[in-house]
Amino acid sequence: MNRRRFLLTGAALAAVNGIALSNVRAATSSAKARIVIAGAGAAGLALASRLRRQMPQAAITVIDQKTAHHFQPGFTLVGAGLWSPDDVTFRNADFMPSGADWITEAVAEFDPDSNTVATSSGRRVPYDFLFVATGLALDYERIEGMDRSLIGTNGIASIYANPPAAAASFRAIDAFVDQGGVGLFGRPTTEMKCAGAPLKVTFITDDLARRKGRRSAVKLVYNAHNPTVFSVPPVHDRVTQMFAARDIAVNFSHVLKAIDPGAKRATYETPEGVVTFDYDFIHVVPPMRAPDAVMNSPLPWQHGPLATDGWVEAEKATLRHPRYANVFAVGDIAGVPRGKTAASVKWQVPVVVDNLVAETSGKEPLATYNGYTSCPMVTAYGKAMLIEFDYNGNLTPSFPFISPLDELWVSWLIEEKGLKGAYRAMLRGLA
Amino acid sequence: MEDFNPVTMFAILRESLGPWLWGLLLIALVLVVGVVSAAMKLRSARRSPKHPIIAAALAGGVATAIFFMLVPGWTMATHAALNGPVDYLAAILIAFIPGGGIAAMVFSMASWRCARRTTAVCDKSMA
Repeated sequence: MNRRRFLLTGAALAAVNGIALSNVRAATSSAKARIVIAGAGAAGLALASRLRRQMPQAAITVIDQKTAHHFQPGFTLVGAGLWSPDDVTFRNADFMPSGADWITEAVAEFDPDSNTVATSSGRRVPYDFLFVATGLALDYERIEGMDRSLIGTNGIASIYANPPAAAASFRAIDAFVDQGGVGLFGRPTTEMKCAGAPLKVTFITDDLARRKGRRSAVKLVYNAHNPTVFSVPPVHDRVTQMFAARDIAVNFSHVLKAIDPGAKRATYETPEGVVTFDYDFIHVVPPMRAPDAVMNSPLPWQHGPLATDGWVEAEKATLRHPRYANVFAVGDIAGVPRGKTAASVKWQVPVVVDNLVAETSGKEPLATYNGYTSCPMVTAYGKAMLIEFDYNGNLTPSFPFISPLDELWVSWLIEEKGLKGAYRAMLRGLA
Repeated sequence: MEDFNPVTMFAILRESLGPWLWGLLLIALVLVVGVVSAAMKLRSARRSPKHPIIAAALAGGVATAIFFMLVPGWTMATHAALNGPVDYLAAILIAFIPGGGIAAMVFSMASWRCARRTTAVCDKSMA
């Protein structure tokens, strides 16, 4: 290749690259709307970043008193003893886009009839558009005898509460494996974030016991809340098969009602009545519900299965509130089937932002969310199944060369090395 | 997969690697410049690239094999976790990154050496 051809080829490549980059540049709106985002979790920060870029003249206000940000998909790896709490703890300030006004107070009240949000200090913040991204509340107290301060004591683990609790959970798992006995696992009957996590903790405990040569000393029992261990039929079938192969017993339709930490006894509600099991170790997954400010507002579903726990009423495809057209629910708080994962947020945020940009530009909002969610199901140290599915329970693999129901190291690689970077890029509105 | 455009991929890499990304890009740039300048030096000295290429392939192959053994440990796993062809392919591709870097380095050094003087291993000039 002579110098002339080299330069021409380089120019052509640069042009192609430029075209490719221009294709990924999102549409913008010059509307001077007042936008309030309630919550600075995964959904709130990703919304703020994208809205800042796509609606540069809008006044964006984020309301959240939390200054620490937790990478919750990493809690499983903290609970597995591989990561430390510091590995999953960021600062919200590092991801808050410049130009966004951050009110570091809790949301106290939503008043969608007057288009205002009240903060814990009594300040009322008016809006033209509201994004409810408060996340959810962990309701440990709904289990009689349970309190989050018990995590890490008396054989009680729960990776959900916070990073130190996840680390304490690993210590409880490790001690249980060393001492032997009966380990109980399960999940609540409510909607929940990362519905695969209870299964992951079960698999991790099994694998740790095998690695330590202690598998025969522990009996593992998974208490499913309904007749399935996972709501997606092919995943249910696969996990049930794996549990059987690993000698993990399954009880269906068992919902944890109470625990007695001193006596190490757990009580479950079943269709046949209440049953009680003695345990040496229990992984408690708390019931989950909307935070009080949402529960006490007109925003939740008024009837149906999502009304009980206060999930915000939202149209499945657009996440727009059907009764308050200028309100959207994104992330864990959205009252839609499934979808309480960071992967859901990654696909929800561009939909609601693109639709708002279109709407404020006088165009028709056309973007839709198909319910995509993802669960890298850790099945052992070093192995995972990259399970992705939509509202209808269809498996929707992103990578054609990765079979979603195969235990693979490459899926673990994505979980252990890829997700955190993708998550942080999502918070900046870049993924 | 259509979502994995260059901007997204770069953002994910930047967030995953932090400041290390810039160091790695600098190393990559140095290696590319080294390979190109070494190839040009060989050409101007009218030397065959055969022996530098063989040396680079050997060094790169050995380095890739060594890093292939180390890659699962980098993810807090063991080789027993590799469970299918896609796992082996992914591990080899990751190992090829440092392996390719070492191959580039060896090619550059061998080419400069060949271009500077006539030795037993690179005494054939280009026809």
